[in-house]
Amino acid sequence: MAKLIWLCLNFVILCSTVGAVFEDQVGKFDWRQQYVGKVLFSNFDAQSQSSKKVIVATENNVFASLNIRTGELFWRHVDAIGPEGNIDALLHHGQDALLVVGDGRLLRSWEINIGGLNWEIVLDSGSFQSACLIGQQDIVKHVAVETVDYQSVYSGGNGEVYVLGIVPHSHIAIVVYSLDDGEIIRQFSVEAPWLSNIQASCAVIGEGMLTCADSATVSLYMLDLESQTEMSQIPLQSLGLEVTPDFQPVLRSTQPNAARPPLSEFFLQVGPEQHLLLQLNDGQIVTLRDFNPALLVSFATTGEKTIAAVMSPKNTTACSINLFSAETGRRLLDTTLIFPLDPNGGKPEELYVQAFLKKDDSVGYRVMVQTEDHTLTFIQQPGRVMWTREEALSDVVTMEMVDLPLTGTQAELEGEFGKKADGLFSMVLKRLSSQLILLQAWISHLWKLFYDARKPRSQVKNEVTIENLSRDEFNLQKMMVMVTASGKLFGIDSKTGTIVWRHYLDNIPANAAFKLMVQRTTAHFPHPPQCTLLIKDKDTGLATLHVFNPIFGKKSHVTPPAMPQPILQSLMLPVMDQDYAKVLLLVDDQYKVSAFPSTKNVLQQLQEIASTIFFYLVDSSQGRLSGYRLRTDLSTELIWEVVVPTEVQKIVSVKGKRPNEHVHSQGRVMGDRSVLYKYLNPNLLAVVTESTDTHPERSFMGILLIDGVTGRIIHEAVQRKAKGPVHIVHSENWVVYEYWSTKSRRNEFSVIELYEGMELYNSTVLQQSYIFPSSISTMEATLTEKGITSRHLLIGLPSGGILSLPKMFLDPRRPEIVTEQSREENLIPYAPELLIRSEWFINYNQTVTRVRGIYTAPSGLESTCLVVAYGLDIYQTRVYPSKQFDVLKDDYDYMLISSVLLALFFATMISKRLAEVKLLNRAWR
Amino acid sequence: MLHRDRIPLLWGFLQAVLVVALGFADMETGPGGAGVSVQQPNGDRFKIEGRAVVPGVKTQDWVSSARIFVEGEEFVGFVRTDGSFAVNDVPSGSYVVEVITPNYRFEPVRVDITSKGKMRARLVNYIKTSEVIRQPYPLQIRANGPQTYFMKRETWGWTDFLMNPMVMMMVLPLLIIVLLPKVVNTNDPEMRKEMEQSMNMLNPNPELPDVSELMTKLFSGGSKPSSKAVTSKGTRPAVKRR
Repeated sequence: MAKLIWLCLNFVILCSTVGAVFEDQVGKFDWRQQYVGKVLFSNFDAQSQSSKKVIVATENNVFASLNIRTGELFWRHVDAIGPEGNIDALLHHGQDALLVVGDGRLLRSWEINIGGLNWEIVLDSGSFQSACLIGQQDIVKHVAVETVDYQSVYSGGNGEVYVLGIVPHSHIAIVVYSLDDGEIIRQFSVEAPWLSNIQASCAVIGEGMLTCADSATVSLYMLDLESQTEMSQIPLQSLGLEVTPDFQPVLRSTQPNAARPPLSEFFLQVGPEQHLLLQLNDGQIVTLRDFNPALLVSFATTGEKTIAAVMSPKNTTACSINLFSAETGRRLLDTTLIFPLDPNGGKPEELYVQAFLKKDDSVGYRVMVQTEDHTLTFIQQPGRVMWTREEALSDVVTMEMVDLPLTGTQAELEGEFGKKADGLFSMVLKRLSSQLILLQAWISHLWKLFYDARKPRSQVKNEVTIENLSRDEFNLQKMMVMVTASGKLFGIDSKTGTIVWRHYLDNIPANAAFKLMVQRTTAHFPHPPQCTLLIKDKDTGLATLHVFNPIFGKKSHVTPPAMPQPILQSLMLPVMDQDYAKVLLLVDDQYKVSAFPSTKNVLQQLQEIASTIFFYLVDSSQGRLSGYRLRTDLSTELIWEVVVPTEVQKIVSVKGKRPNEHVHSQGRVMGDRSVLYKYLNPNLLAVVTESTDTHPERSFMGILLIDGVTGRIIHEAVQRKAKGPVHIVHSENWVVYEYWSTKSRRNEFSVIELYEGMELYNSTVLQQSYIFPSSISTMEATLTEKGITSRHLLIGLPSGGILSLPKMFLDPRRPEIVTEQSREENLIPYAPELLIRSEWFINYNQTVTRVRGIYTAPSGLESTCLVVAYGLDIYQTRVYPSKQFDVLKDDYDYMLISSVLLALFFATMISKRLAEVKLLNRAWR
Repeated sequence: MLHRDRIPLLWGFLQAVLVVALGFADMETGPGGAGVSVQQPNGDRFKIEGRAVVPGVKTQDWVSSARIFVEGEEFVGFVRTDGSFAVNDVPSGSYVVEVITPNYRFEPVRVDITSKGKMRARLVNYIKTSEVIRQPYPLQIRANGPQTYFMKRETWGWTDFLMNPMVMMMVLPLLIIVLLPKVVNTNDPEMRKEMEQSMNMLNPNPELPDVSELMTKLFSGGSKPSSKAVTSKGTRPAVKRR
């Protein structure tokens, strides 16, 4: 056994060069973008005027610090997924930031300069309600976290902490604690039968004045927490104010310093676009200013000055932001800032203001605006956009890579061949003119090269725009079309990572499922390329289609069909209509099929080939897998059905093969020169089931290989004492899956390979399992143009590494005893444990946090496969599973080869001369 | 009525309401410093503690990118500025604890927690899962060096060129051909005799035909003299012809 392992190690060392990165290749053809997610809380670091940090806490349980000059991350902390990592509150004071995490379970203090943890404590479990900082005599010392039944905590900096609780529609209970010893000073309750939620409708203003807004009576209720026990009602009409019907008024107060009471000025929102700046003056409410229309309002404090920033719509393409003095409501001069509205983006949602004092003691400010599509825009006066962050990209759901179009001149050439011949003479003319255009393009390219060479390197801009995007020689540069959960679509240039276009779909249901399909590629000039996004509401099953151009992001003129019925399945046929768009079939819950596009031509083609169109439906709640055939009248016919008993096991995933996969090696040559033919059924489905019993001794997982056309079960395997999550890759003639072994508490890989045998129709199934020393997040196989290159498995690990594991290690024919034949076949001796070598990480230290998916696409080079890994971050690179066999390597030593050639040339010259001299001398002798 | 019912409830909640008072001013002393009563987590949830060290590197240079993973991403902890860490709310069981940093390599450790909260740490062995090689608890995890992600480029040097076996095979015979005649005086008849003798020793059976000679005879029809003769005689006339 030891010998075997030693042999294996030897082999590992031998083939260790496969799939590794060289240090000088860093950043050459790969890039990473880091995201944080939708911002929930944000605070500007106001320690000093020169500070350039903003700390953010997001919906994705991420806590990060951004550089306000560039928008890049200083540091980022990613907590566990799910409710345990949810960030409930962010409190910030000086050097420290306090986070309440996991529904009030944990309290963490972070040092915000280096991003280190100061301390962490566990709180009583409960449900988080509110938190606040408590200060005394101008020093912020304590923090109060409220986790039980009470809804609000307040402290005015006088040594007392007020805890407010509510019995809905009855009364407010108030308990006052002493800060010094935690003793209860007093407690009382106040009748408030109209109130249901303190946090939503109340705020503390000025010296302990609890103010609540009620929409039913259209009035404000006020209570002095220190002295009163009755709420006084102030109808808004008495202040001369009107509230939009059915609008819950919102109060917004500010407490610049935790050691002092809140300011007596506050905002009252009385309509969707109307805000009022009010002041509490000796128990009287005075209206300082009425902002109508105003989209967003925010308070900011610098030094002793507090200002109010108000965003109001200017025109359809921009909003303006103005500053007002909070004390007087007067507008500050020269503080207008223009916020450009992106026509392809969402509406502004939140306004974060960083105010600072200029040298002349006037107030300057910068704003960070968050829009509905999770974009953060940072703007400086008078409207210069410093940076934008597309945080929607932290949640990519699905993506496709589309070939870039040919340039105008290339397309012109292509068009020449596409058109019908119209006479010899005109053809010659056309040929000449296109050659002239090519010449012109070449000269202008040369001129540009020359022009750029004279400029210093830093000034040469390589801006990527839609205009200069064109396909490169080896089709290595592509357009990445990414669909995010928020409903924003992106077009990203794969070479540089630049976002070329963005488009926000604003009526996406909250739990939508997306499927992106390329209906027409860029190969059919002059028809524009066309992508179709199927958006399906998971609850109702109702779906809509969004048809767009993947290169420009524009919505297509083609009107998608209306789909009144829930959609069960969608499938892309290889059939094209007369405009070269592939046909999309949609199956509704009545098992009726509709086609898109549904022209006469398409319907006719469908009728002809209907008998050869099969599809399958999966109903995991019923445990049913059924196969259907299309009839000529576009109805369907059930031809097979496999039922998995739901009380024992449930179907967790069904994986077919990728439709764009080619296999150009039909068999494997054995040691004795015979050929083992692969079983290459393109309709094979791999069905994974898990047991409903989760007890570690009894749980199991099963795998079924089913022919999708006939319903024949080709193979069935059961893994005992195993449970999910199961990750599976199905390609060529093999299925690789990974599961958790409950018996030995480890992750295991298993591979199934299907062979026809030495001659056809003699099916053989081989299977082998291995131990993998890490859990995995996602898995995908490399894909190349022709399928000649050997395959690698790309495994996304929770640590953020993307491991490129040669398929050769997952080969069920790995022998336990090495023989002459197996050595000849280059089979690695079997070893139970698969090793993770750090050289196999294709993304070196550029980890992809929470990797959720890996997308592979072939390039124009057979050796090269394009890889995009997405999760919280996005990483793009290329892999060469069999090394670069079809191009010169990028470290090819041109210097050496040319110097050797030159040296040889001179050596021949010299030796020729010497030989001549020698001959001459001999002749003289 | 409702109001009166509420009062005992309120009293009950008073103990539960946690107003945690923590010193911002005395940060170094940690949570215990300000006289806080941190209640133990409820019965069956435990805390894994330890310390991670990267030898020769200041903690603030790596802690901001470090995380502690317990059993994949199931439980996540963070590293404090002094390198210590704690992962809270872990139920009893057996877990693999890893320190995840992009730049340094740490060995994982398996931590077993009994239902009573007893902890032990041992080496991870995926093949013999029941083998116990004890590790200290609270965990002491040292980095065993930076991650090596990159392959070395094959650089070209003169020594590589000279030590190449092909080059050696070419250079050594050349040296013998050039140097041997100079060292050994071939004109000396005694020496020549000695050499012939040694050649005969090497070729024990002179009657056995040489394979190369046989082949040349076969292909050239036996008309030409042996190849050796051609090469030794043929060079000179060629030069003269030029």
